[in-house]
Amino acid sequence: MSGVERFAAMGTRVELHLFGATGSDALAVARRAIEAVDDALTIHRPSATTALNASLMAGRSHAVDDPLLLAALIEIEAAHALTLGLFDPAADAARPGAGWNAIRVDRDAARIEAARPLALDFGGFGKGFALDQACDALRAAGVASAFLVAGESSIAVMGEHPLGGGWPVAIPDPLAPDQSLVELELRDAALSISSTLGAGAEAPGRAPMIRPNDGSCVTAARTAIAIDRRGSRAEMLSTALLVADAGQAMRLIAEAPAHRFLFNFSRTAAAVVQPREVVA
Amino acid sequence: MTDKDFDFTRRAFLDGVLKATAGAGVAAAAPWAVSAASAAPLSGDRVRLGVIGTGDRGRTLIRNILKTRNCAVAAVCDNFAPHLAKAQAIVGANVPAFADHRAMLDARGLDAVVIATPLDFHAPLAFDAFGAGLHVWCEKAMARTIADCSAMVKRSQDSAKVLQIGHQRMFHPTYLNALKRVKAGEIGPVTQIRASWHRNTSWRRPIPPGSTDRKINWRLYREASAGLMTELATHQLQVGNWFLDAVPTRVIGSGSICFWKDGREVYDHVALVYEYSDGRKFVYTSHLNNARYGCEEQIQGSKGTIEPELGRIYQEVPPKVLALQRMQEDVKRGHKRTVPIGGATWFPELPVTTPGDSLGWGEYDETMLQFEGFGEAVRAGKPLPGMLAQAYAASVASLLGEQAMDRGEAVTWPTDLIAV
Repeated sequence: MSGVERFAAMGTRVELHLFGATGSDALAVARRAIEAVDDALTIHRPSATTALNASLMAGRSHAVDDPLLLAALIEIEAAHALTLGLFDPAADAARPGAGWNAIRVDRDAARIEAARPLALDFGGFGKGFALDQACDALRAAGVASAFLVAGESSIAVMGEHPLGGGWPVAIPDPLAPDQSLVELELRDAALSISSTLGAGAEAPGRAPMIRPNDGSCVTAARTAIAIDRRGSRAEMLSTALLVADAGQAMRLIAEAPAHRFLFNFSRTAAAVVQPREVVA
Repeated sequence: MTDKDFDFTRRAFLDGVLKATAGAGVAAAAPWAVSAASAAPLSGDRVRLGVIGTGDRGRTLIRNILKTRNCAVAAVCDNFAPHLAKAQAIVGANVPAFADHRAMLDARGLDAVVIATPLDFHAPLAFDAFGAGLHVWCEKAMARTIADCSAMVKRSQDSAKVLQIGHQRMFHPTYLNALKRVKAGEIGPVTQIRASWHRNTSWRRPIPPGSTDRKINWRLYREASAGLMTELATHQLQVGNWFLDAVPTRVIGSGSICFWKDGREVYDHVALVYEYSDGRKFVYTSHLNNARYGCEEQIQGSKGTIEPELGRIYQEVPPKVLALQRMQEDVKRGHKRTVPIGGATWFPELPVTTPGDSLGWGEYDETMLQFEGFGEAVRAGKPLPGMLAQAYAASVASLLGEQAMDRGEAVTWPTDLIAV
């Protein structure tokens, strides 16, 4: 048995592929979980996040009554240091100095405030966070094997491939799509790709990646890959790798060399990476 | 169609209208349709209508009036004898026919008039009818000028007589169902409506003996018409105002006589942008030398699109990832292969050509329901709720668009309109 759901959310396409015995409404439950995150975190239409941003821009503290938004803020607060502060949803090229360091999250009181006017843009984090919510919903529905994708940059796999073993995935080289940057076998893992190259990166209107320390845009030709058990953390880490300087990148990769990759196309051709299996 | 068949389709039609208007928020957004479709079983004398203007459109209206359960054509009037004769052939020789509308009004025996004349006659004929103590049903657009549109509303109010304007989409089950699905949030917040009415025709009719070009082809001359704006766009502007639940704040536009350089005075090419609150837009084009895209309103939200003329609703479903499609096929045949996937986030850019889903309900002539509703309004002495406000705003919008194109500058929504 298998089931497929394909729909638009988080500003891109989402595909859910379920395998094995699944409840009849498992796909619908997972879709609703993703759409609920979209509704909570979007800044492109009225949402809990736009209401929060209105308060923060006006210098007011804000009571976060949306549980998904609060959960997202808590995850970012917990993982911010792991990314060396390089994943920063408050960074803004138009507002130098604005950043997560100016924010204080009181998780017990469900309140957030900022020391200066700023606004949050969760960017790719939202896709990973949404896939996490969908995986949680699918597990609760008894699903054991699934492959979930949001915009091809965010992937989550549950359990084993339906034919056994891990899920074999090859990340295409953005400059030579017939070749792979890296081949991986994933089990119960989330994968995030951040790149300044490729068709998606060249789409009109796409927001550039911002370095939080100086608000500058990343212009180097780079692709960063991060794997983690949670999609939200994989997103934060791939973003951090993409905007990192050489020293920061080495530190991030050294902490988990089998789970983090950075390809810099500006200086040399992408390195050949041997197939490896990853269980996050 | 037999009478039994007609009864069935009529009942199905009314059921469709009632089913659509039962949705949350729809009854408030289309109160006229609820009122017309849920009227009590009809009894008593039929409302007596005098039809002024019996050209093609007028005769179509007569045929619809004859289908109703509460209206009758009690007189016909046209100053062009061949048109009058054709109308009398439909209604029968016992129905009085007049060449002069004043004679028809003086003869009495009417409850209301139906005006289906060239546009510039709408206002003076309506004034005369109100003066004679009659209710008025008038074809769209309301009048040739915004001032006359306002005067028609004012005269209706002052005389406490019903003024109803013909906008059949307001009674169409497909449009009502589209509204229901918008109100249910199925296509997300509507931020833009892209509408077009494209034809490939000169719009010029042959002149029969005894008439003149300006009488027959009045749509081509500015004295009588604003051309595409009042004859076509007004229908779609009503849909725009209705689905955006507002009137425009201003309009910009460009008009030209681009293709049919045959002495006409009205534009054969128009392109306009009507701006609404919160940055929403109604984007409109109409012309007369390419019919590829025909007549349609594309009601666009963040989750989908509705095209009511086609009766289709489209969800924002992006194309599938081919690598994942291949993975599914591999698993089915017991083959495990590496899935090549991953890169910068995919963004939708190209037009999506999916077939969409049916909005439901088939064809039926909703003009009949307009007249049944009008008949009940006349009997009650109260207009169908909400109708005139919609029609007034649509006519004003069409004429404002003409002004914007003539001046070559943005024109803001008038502040001196009559409160309806």
